Amino acid sequence: MERTGAEILLRTLKEEGVDDIFGYPGASTLPIHDCMIESSIRHFLVRHEQAAAHAADGYARATGKVGVCLATSGPGATNLVTGIATAYMDSTPMIALTGQVTTNLLGSDAFQETDIIGITLPITKHSFLVQDPRDMASTVREALAIAKSGRPGPVLIDLPRDVLALRIKEEEAREPGFFNTTELKFGEDERIRLKEIARLLNESERPVLLIGGGVKLAQAFTELSDVIEKVSIPFVTTMMGIGSAYTTNGYNLGLIGTHGMELANRIIHQADFILAVGARFSDRSTSVIEGFAPLATIAQIDVDPTSIGKNIKTDISVVSDIRVSLKELLGLVAEKKRDDWLSRISKERSRIEMEGCADGCGPVGDFIRQVQGNMPEKTIAVADVGLNQIWAVRSWKVRIPRGMITSGGMGTMGFSVPAAMGAKVGDPDHEVVVFTGDGGFFMNVQELATIGFYNIPVKIIVFNNGNLGMIRQIQHHFYSSRFRDSRLSDLVNITEIARGFGIESEKASVHDPGAGIEKLCKAEGPFLLEVIVDEDNFVYPIIPPGRSNIEMIYGRGE
Amino acid sequence: MEKELKEHVISMLVNNRPGVLARVAGVFGRLGYNIESLCVAETGSPKISRITSVSKADPDFTEKVKKQLNRLVDVISVNELDDDRSVKREMVLIGLDVNERNRSELFQAVSILGCTVVSLKDSYCILQIVGTKVDVETALNFLKPLVVKDIARTGALALESEI
Ligand SMILES: Cc1ncc(C[n+]2csc(CCOP(=O)(O)OP(=O)(O)O)c2C)c(N)n1
Repeated sequence: MERTGAEILLRTLKEEGVDDIFGYPGASTLPIHDCMIESSIRHFLVRHEQAAAHAADGYARATGKVGVCLATSGPGATNLVTGIATAYMDSTPMIALTGQVTTNLLGSDAFQETDIIGITLPITKHSFLVQDPRDMASTVREALAIAKSGRPGPVLIDLPRDVLALRIKEEEAREPGFFNTTELKFGEDERIRLKEIARLLNESERPVLLIGGGVKLAQAFTELSDVIEKVSIPFVTTMMGIGSAYTTNGYNLGLIGTHGMELANRIIHQADFILAVGARFSDRSTSVIEGFAPLATIAQIDVDPTSIGKNIKTDISVVSDIRVSLKELLGLVAEKKRDDWLSRISKERSRIEMEGCADGCGPVGDFIRQVQGNMPEKTIAVADVGLNQIWAVRSWKVRIPRGMITSGGMGTMGFSVPAAMGAKVGDPDHEVVVFTGDGGFFMNVQELATIGFYNIPVKIIVFNNGNLGMIRQIQHHFYSSRFRDSRLSDLVNITEIARGFGIESEKASVHDPGAGIEKLCKAEGPFLLEVIVDEDNFVYPIIPPGRSNIEMIYGRGE
Repeated sequence: MEKELKEHVISMLVNNRPGVLARVAGVFGRLGYNIESLCVAETGSPKISRITSVSKADPDFTEKVKKQLNRLVDVISVNELDDDRSVKREMVLIGLDVNERNRSELFQAVSILGCTVVSLKDSYCILQIVGTKVDVETALNFLKPLVVKDIARTGALALESEI
């Protein structure tokens, strides 16, 4: 039986569990699109390759499966770059397939040739150039394994057109026989270190658990919740850690860091012991590092050795699969009530609530809570970047694993709409609601066409404050209100634009949403709700650059 | 704040396939470390190459570079070799004109330094010196007055002397 490289590519992907691809064709990749006709893999034609990458990313984040995107050589491939970098920063398992000029033209500056492997070297976990169809199947399998294993990440496969078109006999396929070094073991050394961590935790009086995105990637939701309940340990999360633990009995102190909750930042500052799980202590989480958790002994569990001690010196660490570690840890820690610590926290919580700065989002916070109240419990929220992201992660209560999807490490504006599209394709049983700003919305507005065409029923909320709101807030506080290049046009009619794409749409005010929320929540198909927000609806408290997590600014006047 | 710089020799085994060297070099570059010398060649197995690199760097170097290199899919093992438990050798090829005036000096030098004449054509001669870094540098200094025309020098090759 003879098959082309493209056929082998799609067959191998399918065998390995890939059901959906987001992409955009070009001459170099036509052999693949041609095979799509016979393949059971679904291909979603996006309107810009960046969106294909974000959709694959959102798909992976919602399902835990590997997301796959496809673009042609040259400009198609370079259009993926922002999406690949976004996936890399948040460790999303993803495969980027790129077309390439024929092997005899490689390196000749042929039409639509770019060295996409070179361009993406620092933003991929690994990459492959397939030079012979006999290597296709083994390369695809290896790429998928690498994307998923250890700390996941995007893997790029560059596919010259002749390799896609050439036919080989099935038995000609070959295994490269190279070493794959991504395996991790849990051995005696790891066990000893975990015992020490358990001892420190048992003896601590004011412990705090710091949860990062690694928990989600390891699918360690129940293991984590078990530990929290057994030792009565309050937890804070990084932006990527949101939605990893969803116990409701007062242990959740919220997001830490520059845009974090006051309670979370104050409590971690008082901790005598911090156990970080799947978190890398990014600058957004710690603010200025010298001021972070000055009283605490810090322990760290992570699958990625480079995340250990990268940004902060930790006192003890374990490198291992997070789920395995947490399971083991559960047996080693002592049940404990910690009434003193928990009551100190609940006093702090009441004080902050009394002062009225619980979420610090103003009327937008109430609006988001109202939306959530009208949606099923198991709704996935997707947040863009800017004030809208901070509003969403502070005001939306995540109740399911993978219930919040947002670009954390890269902070890519325009991520939300295509990512939500991918999330809904991958997880059609859950409602998906997008929160975006009027700036980021336009960075991938063309995807409304894709959403309309495939009738992907996502619900999009565009907070229209007429400004790049977060930039405006920064200019207000740190540039003496010298506003420049942060005002957007009043002439743009967002609901009309949505309707122009064939998407049902309404407009509402954040103060008086009227029937808008209900229409959004009841809509069968895709729906866009434009919500007018006051341009000075900022988020408080915030932490100025170069300050520690407890040196907060509370309001406009300060 | 200037940190104290020390010479670090890293020896790694990697998959012998295209693009690996670029990835390895990228790790050094991204962390802001310069590679002073680099040797790459196949090992006993055609699927595996050994890369030996030398960098002058601060004490954080080893941990940072080792972790990042280990993260590369094609890197099989990474070791830092210290002076006490490893053997290091370098080689240099030196091209010089041989004439009436320097002939005797040159052949004196050859016998003192223990170099080998590996080519002698139309009074152009190429010498080879193998030794430690100090050996190589001593020889180069010694030969400089004899009008050296061309030099090709390897970086350090190294192996652990105890396993
Ligand atoms: C692609 C990209 N460009 C620029 C930025 C810098 N940036 C961060 S937030 C922001 C403003 C976002 O404005 P908008 O989308 O209207 O959201 P708002 O803050 O008003 O909610 C900008 C420009 C970014 N994060 N991403």
